[in-house]
Amino acid sequence: MSRISVPTTGRLPSSLRVDPSNPAVSKILNRLSRASLLSIAVDWLDENNQSLASPYLHHSESEYDSEDEDDFNPPARSLSALQELYADLQSRKGSKREVIDRITEGDWRHGLSLYQLAMADLQYLYDHPLSQRWTAYRIAPLKPPNPDAEDDSPPVEDKQSLVIPRFHPSTFLNALQSQVPPDVKAHYSFDRHRILPLLILRIFILDSPYNTSLGLRSSAAATTFDTSRTVYIAFPDASPHVFISKPQSLSTSAASTAGGESKSLRTLIVEGVPKALSRPRQRVTLKATGLVTRNFNELLDRRGSQRTNFAGGGWSIYANEKVKESPLDTTLPTPPLSEEDGDVGEAKRRKRVLSVIERKEERERKRARLVAKARFGESGRVDDGKGLERVDIVVEDPFPDIGGTVEDGEAGDAGETWKPYVRFTLHGSHVFAGIRQLVEHGIIDGERMPGWLTGDEGVSVGAVSCGRIRGYKGSGV
Amino acid sequence: MPSLTLDDEILNLQSQINTLKSQLQIQTSNLLGSPSTEQLITSSTTPAAQKQNLLSRSASQHAHNQQCLYRACAGLTAFRARDPDPNAVDNGAILGLRVEIASRAKFLRPYYVLFNRPFPGSNALRVHRHTIPPSIALVGLANRYLPFPKGEGGGKQDLARFARALRREVVRYHHRLGVVADLRKAAGLGKKRGNGGEEEEEGVEREGKLASITAADAEAKQITIEWADGRAGRLVMGDDGEVVKVVAVGDNGRDRDVVRELLGGATRVEDVAKRLVSARGD
Repeated sequence: MSRISVPTTGRLPSSLRVDPSNPAVSKILNRLSRASLLSIAVDWLDENNQSLASPYLHHSESEYDSEDEDDFNPPARSLSALQELYADLQSRKGSKREVIDRITEGDWRHGLSLYQLAMADLQYLYDHPLSQRWTAYRIAPLKPPNPDAEDDSPPVEDKQSLVIPRFHPSTFLNALQSQVPPDVKAHYSFDRHRILPLLILRIFILDSPYNTSLGLRSSAAATTFDTSRTVYIAFPDASPHVFISKPQSLSTSAASTAGGESKSLRTLIVEGVPKALSRPRQRVTLKATGLVTRNFNELLDRRGSQRTNFAGGGWSIYANEKVKESPLDTTLPTPPLSEEDGDVGEAKRRKRVLSVIERKEERERKRARLVAKARFGESGRVDDGKGLERVDIVVEDPFPDIGGTVEDGEAGDAGETWKPYVRFTLHGSHVFAGIRQLVEHGIIDGERMPGWLTGDEGVSVGAVSCGRIRGYKGSGV
Repeated sequence: MPSLTLDDEILNLQSQINTLKSQLQIQTSNLLGSPSTEQLITSSTTPAAQKQNLLSRSASQHAHNQQCLYRACAGLTAFRARDPDPNAVDNGAILGLRVEIASRAKFLRPYYVLFNRPFPGSNALRVHRHTIPPSIALVGLANRYLPFPKGEGGGKQDLARFARALRREVVRYHHRLGVVADLRKAAGLGKKRGNGGEEEEEGVEREGKLASITAADAEAKQITIEWADGRAGRLVMGDDGEVVKVVAVGDNGRDRDVVRELLGGATRVEDVAKRLVSARGD
């Protein structure tokens, strides 16, 4: 450890150790379950991680040297002994408290490195995938600035560009570091999501000009750690989008002041990311896409690398890769639901004994299911794991004429129209699956339901005008 | 265990049923599609209602066959669809464009672009929905060839050029993905899953000198190559699969020998794959 701390513009090194008595450490560790704690502890003891997460080992040569009688968690003699110990802890039952004590007071009493804290934090993110709210941004290319123009007009988006932005993690990190002001220190760690095609960058920000342990341990340590924040940025593979999480403060005491600060931190990042992604003569900007959700699957479905980005709702039949549609297959496509019904002869026989009313109900039910299929396609299933948990809609249409049927927006342009301010929020574990179920049960008339209720636009925040959400006369791209 | 064998038997029978069902479908469509069947139907003495039913099915089969023929031969076909949204512009009329993609002697699921006509008093099209992956700059192409009509006669649209350019980009993209897969196969590496996604766990034993070959960007224009001895390199591929640049870095900076060994005068990435195959054969 260096003896003096000089303010620098460097980043916080991963090997920097945080004192285990620090409230942030116990907060991060306490969030994890016992099984997760043990699995990351075993990871820390891996040979490859020794430079960044080495445990406190018993170093003295003689056996009877300085055995501390009061030490509940005596240091282990070797790495392999410790690995065995943790494997043993994994195999038997016990309390979480015991493991945390073992880590903070025993094997890592000399401090947990920032790398370890980052791993623990990311483990929490994997254990609780819905713990963060992500905002999806599109990376849009900008026109190269005109050298002849004298004024500092902001660059315009190059709509005709055929360049797909490329992303290189280490270059990006270097460029991002140069965007961070010198009185703020940040620790970065990249991690690949275990299942999903995502690269997650965790940024841990500390308000201190020093990048040594003094920055973490100074007399004002409590305050510096209080104002520290964690932000995640996720980069989906092969997709020109970025997902940025809402910054989170580690402490609860700073909650009152966190509002404005975290907002400014977010703007700092939203401004810094496109600069870091830009390359000479190829500048990019971030454009908000109106999708805010906690669900990664939904984000990857609507802003990912697949075909589903601009084919939501009923259009998903065009994107469904499971359907084989080879031109060499000349069998006539069967209409939907015909297979289910024609399948069972018994059902048909049973139908014959139904009364007229029951038969009518049966027909209506089938019709509602068909309509739901037509409007939602393959999307909006309860079990598809792609649920939006909150959708905010503002309706800007004039009030429809009472008496007539639901009028199109254009019909109301005759003079005075009453335009109430209507704003509503749909909440739930999977909003559009709920609407689909309502259609399937005939509560919503599926044929007259506006298109934005099927979620085909792929936004969670939007304004409706002329019965359509976002964009001029139908969405387009 | 009798219950297990019974379950197996049921599963077996069910799979047989499914095979027979698909067989039946194929045979039906083959029979209905052949010209001799049509003659048989018209000349037979079956009741009129049944005859009508058969004739209509035969007609729709013929139409479907023709569609399949166009799709197989043209690669770019258009169709009409309807927007289910009751508030859709232009009464929900949609023009669809179907881009056929063949890879490894198989037709893949086609890509679709769906247009509507949102501009009053103009037949100008606008991309409404599409299933083109984000690795292809559809927005840029659409803005080049299908500009919005601005006032009187501004911005002439050219759907044919747009469709050609789009298909060219899509086919190029799939060829580049195919070349990357070929390179991996030639180097004896495991199969890559998905496009631009993460690679599968590879077998522990590798035969060649190359440790990993992956597409480094969304468009699959850059390929990361890692050698087993720790050298890393990057190959930049042009739009049409030509080698633009190769750089390899070893412990002592840039390593030109290993690049020469890899390329050996090859100017196209396919040639590099061929070289790798022959090198392994030796």
